[in-house]
Order: sequence, then structure tokens, then C-alpha cells
Amino acid sequence: MDKARDTLLEWGDWIWSGLRQLYACPASALGTTIFLLFLLLALFGPLIAPYEANQQIVEDARQPPSPKHWFGTDHLGRDVFSRVVLGARDVLSLAGLGTLAAVAAGTIIGLISGYQGGWLDEVIMRFFDSLLALPALLLALLLLGSLGGSRNSVLAVIVIVYAPIVARVVRSVVLSVKTKSFVEAARVQGEAFWYILLREIFPSTLPALAVEASLRFSYAIFLVASLGFLGIGVQPPSPDWGLMVKEGRANVTQTPWALYFPAGAIALVVIGVNLISDSLKQILQVPSQLERR
Amino acid sequence: MNLIHRKQPAVWLKGLILTVLLILAGCQPAATPEPTPMPTPVGEETPMAEETPMAAERQGVLRVSAFAISQTDPAYISSDSEVLIANHVYDYLVDVDANNDIQPRLATEWTHSDDGLTYTFTLAEGVTFHDGSALTAQDVVYTFERLRDTEGLPTVDLYANITTIEATGDLEVTFTLSQTNPFFLYDLSDNHALIVKDGAAADGGDADAAGFNGTGPFVVTDYQPENRIVMEANTDYFVEGQPHLAGLEIIFFADQAASADALQGGQIDLTMDLSTVLYENLREVDGLTTYDIATNQFAAVRLRTDQAPGNDPRVIQALKLATDRQAIFDLVQQGYGAVGRDTPVGPIFDTYYTEDYALPERDVQAARNLLAEAGYANGLNMELNLLDTLNFPDLAVVLKEQWSEAGIEVEVVTLPESVFYGEGQWLEVNLGIVGWGHRAYPQFYMDVMLTCGAKWNATRFCDEELDRQIAIAGSSLDEQERVNAYHEIQRILIERGPLIVPYFFAEYAAISDQFEGFELKAFSGRTDFRTLGLAE
Repeated sequence: MDKARDTLLEWGDWIWSGLRQLYACPASALGTTIFLLFLLLALFGPLIAPYEANQQIVEDARQPPSPKHWFGTDHLGRDVFSRVVLGARDVLSLAGLGTLAAVAAGTIIGLISGYQGGWLDEVIMRFFDSLLALPALLLALLLLGSLGGSRNSVLAVIVIVYAPIVARVVRSVVLSVKTKSFVEAARVQGEAFWYILLREIFPSTLPALAVEASLRFSYAIFLVASLGFLGIGVQPPSPDWGLMVKEGRANVTQTPWALYFPAGAIALVVIGVNLISDSLKQILQVPSQLERR
Repeated sequence: MNLIHRKQPAVWLKGLILTVLLILAGCQPAATPEPTPMPTPVGEETPMAEETPMAAERQGVLRVSAFAISQTDPAYISSDSEVLIANHVYDYLVDVDANNDIQPRLATEWTHSDDGLTYTFTLAEGVTFHDGSALTAQDVVYTFERLRDTEGLPTVDLYANITTIEATGDLEVTFTLSQTNPFFLYDLSDNHALIVKDGAAADGGDADAAGFNGTGPFVVTDYQPENRIVMEANTDYFVEGQPHLAGLEIIFFADQAASADALQGGQIDLTMDLSTVLYENLREVDGLTTYDIATNQFAAVRLRTDQAPGNDPRVIQALKLATDRQAIFDLVQQGYGAVGRDTPVGPIFDTYYTEDYALPERDVQAARNLLAEAGYANGLNMELNLLDTLNFPDLAVVLKEQWSEAGIEVEVVTLPESVFYGEGQWLEVNLGIVGWGHRAYPQFYMDVMLTCGAKWNATRFCDEELDRQIAIAGSSLDEQERVNAYHEIQRILIERGPLIVPYFFAEYAAISDQFEGFELKAFSGRTDFRTLGLAE
């Protein structure tokens, strides 16, 4: 029990010190505040939203913002504020899970590819090159075209699109680290392959990985929204922000608020995460040798 | 370059916008299966409309927005824009006007035998194709023989009732039927029945064989696929004084909002591809005249009756009871068009349409009870498949909400047109929403979607009594008998039919005030620009 409590305290300390550093400069403080706000919406959305996401109030359709409907109602009589609030969970969880999976996959592949080198490295990297040659959205469209639009396929798409990028970043760190003497020493001691990878090399990739992950997260939010906007990702009537922008665009002259609020939410979250990502880079002092070739 | 700053959002955004444009460019209009035209007394002869001679002073070029076309051969066209173009390059034997009445076009007059089985048409004199050759009865024979003989053409079934087509004179064509057909003239005015030159598709299958060589009011001078088609007035057109315009340009747009913007920006003069919302916006714009007319285009929610759960009629009744058609109409259609009554016979069919039989009031509890009786006491979970364009997604979202109150949970699955229609999904899916195009007479819907085993009977619904009434409606020469049959058909469909028809669409158009003489037709592709000209 004590051990568990200690671990919890340790984590608490860690988060607390991280937050303190993020709040040290105004830009990152702003970004963190925005992000935490949306995180709260995602966690407690159902308690905050006055209406259900798909509740249609026929007599209130197409109402401008008012005390009753803070962000107005859309063309089908749905409360835009409730939809934006409830949509936060969808967007953040989808982008968050996708990023986590992409980072995990990318890290493993990058570690192995960079450390092993040789033909394996060559094959993996050339394959990733061919994936990266396509713009992310185009690749996503191609994949969704074959997978069909659903939550799970969007998740898969995020992983496939972003794992190669993460893998390249990790690999470049591995390449610079694997010739270092402490890695050599481990190898000479006869440590196992996985031990060297995870215990000796992996920690060196963490700062770069943290920055990359936060960056991928903001792009994933964008990607989820874009796919929703194009109508091939999450399906209606989900309160997905991108989907709301798509619907709002068709009705922009009648119900402009149904477009502006979800679009604003997307912009705000992405800005917030980008600000965090920028300051993470400074806090963690990601070295300049990570420049991409 | 630093990793963090490698990708600026601005660059990313540009990429996004570009890709969006690329995708939109691939969009196609919703497929509106070919229409056919409302009966008037057969054999009625209408004199040629007298036109003020103004051939020498044709002026003005009308620029019209349309979705890009893929077919140019009249035998294969189907979308509004394909028909719109063909309708101005070629001519029909007989045409249908905005009131759904048959009008002469290449045939100036016609007679039919007393038994209603032989029709003789007299062609206009002095008609020439754009290549200079004269129109003869043989061209008409060739056109209709091709339409009824070429495998895969939608007209093969339509003209199965014709036994012979003969040139009985240089300018006289005789059709013989195997059984009476009160709608024969409408069949002859089918969208595909544009007269092409004898032997135009000599090799039998080349879809571009007709090569824009029609007798129509405009001659194609430039066709750039996916971009535009440019036409100039046919100075040898057989109707004196027509067309009034000097030229016609059909410019291809990928989406409706873009054409509405182009109209306001003065890049085009007319658009007929409008959603309700876009139409509402354009109504307030100065310098434009807007039109909306009722049509028989409708959205049909249909459940297959040959598999669970639709094989239990109580499930379909439950869906009907859980649906609030008026609320759907108000939200999705914003009051344009008409509320549906679960049959394809809409109010525009006048005497054929009836409101004598009441639709049951919405009753969520009754729906739940029926579902429980059918063995779905814990509710029903289904996929609702539909096309991802027009207002079908809105309809699906409203239905989902209404049905969920009755314990029917649907997952909305929107599919692109290439899959939904292209791969025949609309016929296969269990629960779906299908859009049906406008037809000038109701028999078409009966024959293809409601009779047992019909080609497009997606519900697999089969009802003996219904089939009997459909047969009467489609062959009786007695108008009152047909009226009675259509009323019976509506009674049966309301009572136990497989469809929910929540509403009928309206058709919209907005045109620049610089033009006059515009008349919108319910199937917008059949809109006729021959008498449209520059305003004084």
C-alpha cells in the first residue's frame, strides 16, 4: 500500500512540477489553460451540456445565440453549445488514442530500425519514405476509402499516417546515441538486445518523443476534424467538430453560428496544444541534432 | 530546418483546401434514375407554337452551371446535366411541357387507331442534322430500334410493349403495340428518346457514337470534359425564330455552393442545382429571379421484407408509427415541397393522388408494442444506409432521433454515390434511404419498384392485390378506371406497404434578370432554353 501511495505521490509531484514549468511563461500558460479547459469539457461534458447532443427541438430550429441556447441552434434544432461541449470528448479521445498508438508503434519501429541498421533499416525507411511522400490527408483519404468511415478506421488511419513520422524522429536519436560509449559498454557486457534498446537508448529519445507526441496530437486533432469535414470519418449524427463544420458550411447563411463555434473550438484546441508543444521543446531542451535530414 | 517548425499550419491548411477541392471535383450529382412523363388524351394534336421571327437577331449567351457529365450519347444519359445538354443538341419526337402535357417536337402531329395499338407520327419538314443531312423517318426508326434492342439500356423494358416500328413514308413513322398503353406518348418522350442519325452507332455499342450530331436548337462547338461545353445557335433550326439565344454554355461545377457563388459573382447566369438553404439565400439577392416548383422527387425509407426484421410486417408498421413526417418536413425541407404519405404518388399527380386514406398518427407507445409483439421487446438495432449528398444525411439524423424514442436504434452509414448506386448497394442493404427522381406519370414507380420481382424492387415487397391494381393502372384506356386503381394502390401502400415516404422535394432555380422566358421543369434537365432570350 505504502509503495503504491509513494508512486502516486511521485506521479503527483511530477505532474505538479511539469505544470509549474508550463505555467512559467505566458505562452505556454495560455496553451495549458486552453487544453485543460477542453480536457475538463471532455471529462465532464455530459454534466455541463444543457441538452443532449442529438436532441432536436423542432420549434427552436435555426435560432441565433441566446440565453436559452448560448451558441444558438443548428438547422435541425440541435443546441450548438451542447454539441461543441459533448464533441470535445470524441475529438480528444480519438486524437489522443490515435496519437498514443502512433507514438508507441513509431517508437518501437524507430528503435529497432535505428539500432539494427543494415537492410532492415533500409527496407523500413524506404517504405516509410513512400508513405511520407503522400500528403497526410491524401493518405488518410486513400486508407479510409478502403476501410470505410468509422471511429475505428479513423483511429487506424491516425496510426498509419503518423507512426512513420514518429519512427523517423526516434531513429535519428537512436543513430546519434548508439555509437556513444555507454551503449558500447552495455553491448560489451553482453546485455540483451531488448535491454539495450529499452534501458540504454530509449531514455535518450524521451525529450524528442514528448515534443513529437504533442505535435502529432495537434495534427491528429486537425486530421480527425478534416476527415469529419470531408464526411468520410466519424458518421453523423455524432457531434464531431469537423462534421459540425461540414453541416454548418452547408447552412452558413442561415445558421452561421453552427459553423463558427465548432470551427473556433478546433482552432483553439490546436493552438493550445501547439503552444504546449513549443514550450515542451524549450523545457526539455530538445537538442538541435534532431534536425530532419 | 528545425523539426518543430517544419510544418507550418498555413502550409497544412493550403494542402487541406487543395485536397478538399480535389475531392469535391470528383463529386457527382445524385443519380436521378431516368424519368418518363402525365397522361393527356392520346392522339391529341397540338399546333406548332407560333414564334416571332427573330432568327436574324439572336443574341445573348446563357451560361448555366451543371454537374460534370460522363455520358454524351442520348441512349446512355441519366443525370440532370447529361439530359440538359442532350435536350439542346438533339430533339425528342414528342416533348412534355411544364404542365406535364404532351407537346409536338419533331413530330408535328400524330393519330392512333381505335383499338389504341397503332400510332402514326408525321415529322416536321425541313429538319436537318448538324452535319447538314436531312432528317427522315428512317432516323426515327433507327433511334427507337436501338433503344429497345441494345442490351443494358434502361429503355429496353420501357419499349418491350412495342411490336414494330416502321417508316411508312419519308416523314411518317408507325409504331405498333402488343397491348394498350395509356402512357405511350410519355414513354416516347422518355429522357433517352432523342432522335439520332440512322446508323450513328453502327458498331452497336460505342457510347459516343452519336457525336453531338443532332437536329437540336444548339450546335456543340467545344466540349472540354470536366470543364465546359460551348454551343452556338443552330441557324437552320426547324422551328422558325428559335432558339432566341445566340449561344449556350454549360459550365461544370463540382458543388452547389460553388455554383450559387458563381451566380452571385456574375460568372454564370442560371443555376438549377440548389439545396433548400442555398435557394433561401439566393431569394434575397438583387438582380436574380428565383423559381421553386413542386415535383415528384422523393426520399423513400425502405426496409427489406425478405429478411429479418422486415419479414415481420409489424416491424414496418412500428417504423411508420415512430415517424413524424411533418417534423421531418419542417426541419429538413423547411416547408418546400410536400409532406409524403408513404406512397410514390405525390400531390402533383392531381386526380391520381388522394388523401382519402388516413396515415396513422405518430404513436411511440404503439410502435413499441408492435415491436414487442414482433419479438423485439428490448428494441431494435439496425444500420441505416444512405447517400452522403443532398439532404439525405439530415433526414437520417432526424429519423434516428425520432425512432430512438420508440426503441429503434439506427447507426447512420453514409456512402458515396459510386458505392451506393455504382455498386448497387441501394438494392442490397437491409434498411436504407433511396432518392427517386421525378417522373411525369406515376406508373413508372409502380412498374419498377413495387410489383413482385420488379428490377428495382429493393424491398422485395410482393402483394397480389397491389400487382393487380398496378396492372389496371398501366393498361386501362379509361381514365376513371386508372384513377380508381391509383387510389386503391395508395390505400394498400398506406395500409401495409414497405415504404416510408416522408416528403416530396421541390425543384429550385435562380436566373439573372438579364434573361426572360425561363420555365423550370420538375426534372430540371428537361428545362427548355429554346424560347429563353435576353430581356428587353
